[in-house]
Amino acid sequence: MDSALIPRGVKRCPTWQFALWIGAAGAVLLWGVFAMLLCWFKGLNQTNMNDSYGFALWIWADLAVIALGGGAFFTGFLRYIVGKDELKNIINYAVLIGFICYSSALLILAIDIGQPLRGWFIFWHANVHSMLTEVAFCLTCYFGVLTIEYVPLILENRQIDKVPFFHRLGHNMHEIMAVFAATGAFLSFFHQGSLGGVSGVLFGRPFGYREGIFIWPWTFFLYTWSAAACGPCFTIMITKITEKVTGKRLVKQNVIELLAKISGWMIGTYIIAKIIDTWYWAKVTAPAAGFNLMDFYSNNPFYGIWILVLEIVICGVVPAIILTSEKGRKNPAALMTAIILAVLGACVNRWVMVLQVMAVPVLTFENWVMYYPSWQEVATTILPVAYGVILISLSYRYLPIFPQEQELNPEV
Amino acid sequence: MKIDRRCFLSLGIGGAAGLALSPIPWKLADDSAIWTQMWPWTPVPADGEATYVKSACTLCPGGCGISVRKIDNRAVKIEGMEGHPVNDGGICLLGLSGLQLLYGPNRVKTPLKRAGERGEGKWVKITWEEAISEVAKKLGDIKEKGESNSVACISGSDKGTVPALFKRFLSVFGSPNFMRMPSIQDSYEIANNISLGFIAQTGFDLEHAGFILSFGSGLIEGWGSPVRMIRANSSWRKAGIKVVQVEPRLSNSAAKADKWIPVNPGTEYALALGLAHVIIRKSLYRNDFVHAGASGFIRFRDLVLSNYSPDSVEKITGIKKETIEALAVDFARSERPVAICGRGQGKSQGSLGEVMAVQALNVLVGNINKEGGVFAVNDPAYIAWPAYQSDAVGAAGIKKERIDGAGSGKYGFAKSLTNRFAGAVNSGSPVSLLFVLESNPVYSLPDTKDVKDAFKKIPFIVSFSSFMDETALNSDIILPNHVYLERYEDVPATAGLSKPVVSLARPVVSPQFNTKHAGDVILLIAKEVGSPVADAFPWKDYQTCLEGTAGDKWKILNKEGFSSDPAFTAQVVNISPGRFDLSGGVADLSILFTPVNSEEDSKAYPLFLLPYDSFRIANGYIGTPPFVIKTVEDTVLKGKDILVEINPATARANGLSAGSYATLKTPKGSARVKVHLFEGIMPGLVAMPRGLGHTAYDNYLAGKGINVNELIGTVEDPASGLDAAWGIRANLIKA
Amino acid sequence: MKEEQSKEKVKKFGMVIDLDKCTGCGACMVACMAENNVPFKEDESKKLDSITWLRIYKLTNGKSFPDADICYLPRPCQHCGGKGDHGHSPCVSVCPATATDYNKETGIVSQIYTRCFGCRYCMAACPYHARYFNWWDPVWPDGMEKYLSPNVSVRMRGVVEKCSFCFHRYQLAMDKAYYEGRREIEETEYQTACTQSCPANAIAFGDLNNSGHAVYELKKDKNAFRLLERLQTNPKVYYLSSREWVRRAGDNYLKDEKK
Ligand SMILES: Nc1nc2c(c(=O)[nH]1)N[C@H]1C(S)=C(S)[C@@H](COP(=O)(O)OP(=O)(O)OC[C@H]3O[C@@H](n4cnc5c(=O)[nH]c(N)nc54)[C@H](O)[C@@H]3O)O[C@H]1N2
Ligand SMILES: Nc1nc2c(c(=O)[nH]1)N[C@H]1C(S)=C(S)[C@@H](COP(=O)(O)OP(=O)(O)OC[C@H]3O[C@@H](n4cnc5c(=O)[nH]c(N)nc54)[C@H](O)[C@@H]3O)O[C@H]1N2
Ligand code: SF4
Ligand code: SF4
Ligand code: SF4
Ligand code: SF4
Ligand code: SF4
Ligand SMILES: [Mo]
Repeated sequence: MDSALIPRGVKRCPTWQFALWIGAAGAVLLWGVFAMLLCWFKGLNQTNMNDSYGFALWIWADLAVIALGGGAFFTGFLRYIVGKDELKNIINYAVLIGFICYSSALLILAIDIGQPLRGWFIFWHANVHSMLTEVAFCLTCYFGVLTIEYVPLILENRQIDKVPFFHRLGHNMHEIMAVFAATGAFLSFFHQGSLGGVSGVLFGRPFGYREGIFIWPWTFFLYTWSAAACGPCFTIMITKITEKVTGKRLVKQNVIELLAKISGWMIGTYIIAKIIDTWYWAKVTAPAAGFNLMDFYSNNPFYGIWILVLEIVICGVVPAIILTSEKGRKNPAALMTAIILAVLGACVNRWVMVLQVMAVPVLTFENWVMYYPSWQEVATTILPVAYGVILISLSYRYLPIFPQEQELNPEV
Repeated sequence: MKIDRRCFLSLGIGGAAGLALSPIPWKLADDSAIWTQMWPWTPVPADGEATYVKSACTLCPGGCGISVRKIDNRAVKIEGMEGHPVNDGGICLLGLSGLQLLYGPNRVKTPLKRAGERGEGKWVKITWEEAISEVAKKLGDIKEKGESNSVACISGSDKGTVPALFKRFLSVFGSPNFMRMPSIQDSYEIANNISLGFIAQTGFDLEHAGFILSFGSGLIEGWGSPVRMIRANSSWRKAGIKVVQVEPRLSNSAAKADKWIPVNPGTEYALALGLAHVIIRKSLYRNDFVHAGASGFIRFRDLVLSNYSPDSVEKITGIKKETIEALAVDFARSERPVAICGRGQGKSQGSLGEVMAVQALNVLVGNINKEGGVFAVNDPAYIAWPAYQSDAVGAAGIKKERIDGAGSGKYGFAKSLTNRFAGAVNSGSPVSLLFVLESNPVYSLPDTKDVKDAFKKIPFIVSFSSFMDETALNSDIILPNHVYLERYEDVPATAGLSKPVVSLARPVVSPQFNTKHAGDVILLIAKEVGSPVADAFPWKDYQTCLEGTAGDKWKILNKEGFSSDPAFTAQVVNISPGRFDLSGGVADLSILFTPVNSEEDSKAYPLFLLPYDSFRIANGYIGTPPFVIKTVEDTVLKGKDILVEINPATARANGLSAGSYATLKTPKGSARVKVHLFEGIMPGLVAMPRGLGHTAYDNYLAGKGINVNELIGTVEDPASGLDAAWGIRANLIKA
Repeated sequence: MKEEQSKEKVKKFGMVIDLDKCTGCGACMVACMAENNVPFKEDESKKLDSITWLRIYKLTNGKSFPDADICYLPRPCQHCGGKGDHGHSPCVSVCPATATDYNKETGIVSQIYTRCFGCRYCMAACPYHARYFNWWDPVWPDGMEKYLSPNVSVRMRGVVEKCSFCFHRYQLAMDKAYYEGRREIEETEYQTACTQSCPANAIAFGDLNNSGHAVYELKKDKNAFRLLERLQTNPKVYYLSSREWVRRAGDNYLKDEKK
């Protein structure tokens, strides 16, 4: 039925099957939209957030998604600036995933703020001293860049490409993509950093506060670094999942391994920096405020210090070792484990730096409280996942996302 | 095709650019900012001229002066009145919340007559004329039957012109049954009656005292006149005056005191006698004052010397004998030491023995009727109305014995025994008609079930409540009073004051609903009932009565808002040294000093339930307003659950942990509670706040927690007839 | 010369709360709610969504019966001056929309409800939990909105609010002074609602820079301390307590550290 839209030389599932799949994802999407509308019309009392968890599941999802979407800027940076040419075979997908991540992040932000209709105040009444202002500007600009990077892909659709104007537009956009990739990398560097700065500058919150250089706390650099390190792992993970779902190989192993190797070294260096940061914080920064490291963890009734072990050792050191070793990369199980751990590591880091910062009691007479998200929060957090599945499915079906697909699946 | 597309594109782009340059998006953006602050459901308070009205707060016996800020015709804020002798600008959280009562959803807005069953909440609106003639007709019928003495009135207070009018009404009509809600003043009155031979209240010049020994009095938790007490506490802090608090629980007063001495509950009397023992043994008492030759003193001395040595007191109270010795010396050697009792806010009557034992300490150190000491104070003197004439039925009725027994037989010293009211009705003393004025007995008297049963037996209940409280809900007709911010009324502040003050409440705003001043209503009822009752009320209306009563002080009341002229308010009674009969004038001292205790099975009920007063929960006639309930900690009330305080040791012994649910059982009932662990409470006790568990009132209060009165009962003091219970045996079982 | 003059004019309003006098009675809490149109809900026992600009904490010394002790500590917004007292309060510096501001003239940290878009970053920044989010629409039972004061805006759902040191009272006092041809106000002309109400006179309020004001001397008391001073938030609220454990509870200390 829709065969005219499907790229030449590749096989796609029957329309009914596709429709069913989209329908299923769509149902989840609608559930999320319903929850989102509840939050907009009835307010944030629909969530289980409170004055100790003013930043909760959503902001975590937001930061996690942005960190993982970092695969786009870093892959782009490697491909266009550093000149790792093989990565052209995965860059499209990296861009698409990045686009999904960033659009989701913006949507979540629009749900998360108490006065969505006033969201634009952040631009209009901008306070240049606020990390969040920097985040808002860079995030929005970078989303623009990602859109610009994604548009040529859409234009490559068989039918759209037939229109000479679009054909030429797409071609010209490809020509100047390096400029956008560079811009994107620059913007990303800043907003990833600013996001790290969000908690790092909170000198009233010893758990989050870090020293740094000039106005930038160390978390500023750690965030950028970790996004660059773990983002590509997310790209790989989604690629692998896509391959599983479609039952096809889409990207050559050497491309994956190259990206994984770079990622491994990034994670390795990042985790060393993170350990030094944690050490300095535990030994110097926090004690100056009267805190021992364990003060931050011992009152938590749920995970205690284990969250730190999980983040640094299990999701940091372990994947770094696997991915930097040739043997590790060559072993599919080890590779997947490392990829998943790295993705998890970024998520855990963002969780800690978002939820713990606000929840760790600072006044000596306050206590840890626990927080469980409401279904509305869960639904709105899953919403972007459903949206991502739909956008990926549509893009995969109708756009030539994977340049190597035809070559790897020659039987058609 | 090509042209079409180009056309379409240029149109699209052109349109977008045009739109962006037009005012539309900017206007929309700007509007969105405005919309979000103008939702129709967010009220915008109207501005207007700001004025202040001086008045008086009647929400507790404190008698504070207030100054109400108004914007045009709206009262927007209540503040303490600067320069008022009671509170000088300070105010309590309840007083601050008065506007939530005035404008609150729980007001009775018009006279109501019961339509459904009692307590069902079904009412028909009636006019004031109908309401008054209905009540008058009932009264007429009763009188006709010659049962005038079966009419009774429960009032929140017996001070001031409005209660006086009600009391006068009953008297002329032919009933002695005017009762006031219980308080520690009942015990002080009887103690004075016994030891001095006349009825007087006890006042304390605490501001100038040099040492304060409190036997469980919540000095900063609403005892007496609450704001005044807190102010006194601050002056003690500043001057370095020592405060010792004797109490089984670390109340706020105990925490604030210089020394907290935990004591086995109910044995405070023994400590007082133990201290007396040391003071007498060491001859630290004021020989000149005590008049050591008096027979009363000799009997008292023999009693305490033989029975209350520190050794034996240690066994009773759990307080180390060294502590007792040291405290006695400290107390007796201080300048102007004052001993004070009345648990918590002083709303329970307590054991007479305890009051007399504590008073004995004040007498021993001679700190009576002088600066920084304890005073005997007359009732306010300004209400002097002409005598009235009763008819035969009335004259016979007033001579009959009171329902609560007060004033006759073994209750000869008592003025009012509201605690005995329910029991008397339930055991057959007939009450045919009950007025309820500014009080909520169905909620606030102990042993709620008993009280409810008694109310069921009363055929006609008339509530004058401004609010739909539990008693109003259980009445037959409601004649809603103005709230204090809508009416004139004299407000005598006497609670524990050595220098009483009379303030004037006056309408800050015009009545918000179809309510009527209870003073006017009782005058109208009197008129309708006819002669001779009507003749006893010669005033055109309440206002005339009030002005006439105040006489030449009316001007000053109006101008200043208060008068503290002792000639007008109340006189300190002169007491000559040695006048106090320390033995109490009661032959059987052992009865007098018998510890009052619950006698229920200690196996089934190994713990004790201890009700406590919290400043942040109103527990009298006034229900806790929303602002105040907001200040209640989540260790006291969580959702609808009430939390009881227990020592961690008690919790361990009962298999309970912080936050767990438990069933609290007492011989009177049981309730589901949550557990709060508190190191400041003696093991073996379960503390529960008074004032929660309302079934009436609004959604901000109703249904939250448990009414402790449902779990406790009364224990009649053999010497006074008052309710001497301080708690009840209990058990706490993991739920 | 010019600088000197302006320095002299700069006011720094602050509080000194005497915890030895404070009884925990809650009057200040309610005075604040009544003065500032603070809303309430049916259930206010969930303290994490209960708006109390002034919250009274109950501190315990951690000892067991009978050595247990408690102390109440009222906590308004501390109107932090931030590091070096330059006005970079933890919350002000992070607000992306400039919806909260440090008034250099008075040292008061403002909150502009109509500007705030509810991102809650300021709450994350404030270690005192002095900021409250309007999770719910404010609703007054029918008729009760009559007591609302026109001097303070009613806040809409979705914005953050906090203690303003009753800024409108300052404005009213200044207005009156200007009207009467004065440039300055007396200490008594500007007092906050909580200070005014406190039956214990436990709260003193005034200009910390003005030697004529009570707070000027009180803050120098040997028992004076501020909450979390080590974080360099520079609060303008001082506390007094003669009890060492209370003073120590004001900040975090390492186990072996002496105060
Ligand atoms: N005397 C005096 N005059 C002044 C000033 C001063 O300090 N003193 N300051 C000047 C300055 S800087 C300003 S900005 C102006 C401010 O002047 P106005 O804008 O008049 O300011 P307000 O009196 O704060 O608020 C006006 C009305 O808005 C209502 N209101 C509150 N919240 C809302 C809402 O959410 N929506 C709507 N629609 N109404 C609301 C308030 O109840 C009040 O009645 O005054 C200027 N004039
Ligand atoms: N609680 C509460 N807080 C508010 C508001 C509110 O309504 N209620 N309103 C908010 C709003 S809209 C505003 S604009 C701000 C206003 O906040 P501020 O700007 O702090 O307001 P003002 O007190 O009006 O003026 C500031 C200072 O200017 C000084 N001043 C007056 N004339 C001159 C002059 O000619 N030269 C110099 N150098 N100084 C002068 C005065 O002495 C005063 O100390 O407050 C905000 N905060
Ligand atoms: S202490 Fe009593 S009289 Fe005084 S303000 Fe409070 S409630 Fe009113
Ligand atoms: S009003 Fe005064 S005494 Fe009461 S809690 Fe507040 S500061 Fe303490
Ligand atoms: S206490 Fe909190 S809200 Fe107040 S100024 Fe300090 S950081 Fe800001
Ligand atoms: S919640 Fe409001 S005041 Fe706080 S940072 Fe965000 S915009 Fe600023
Ligand atoms: S200063 Fe004003 S706004 Fe701040 S806590 Fe006190 S009463 Fe509330
Ligand atoms: Mo303004």
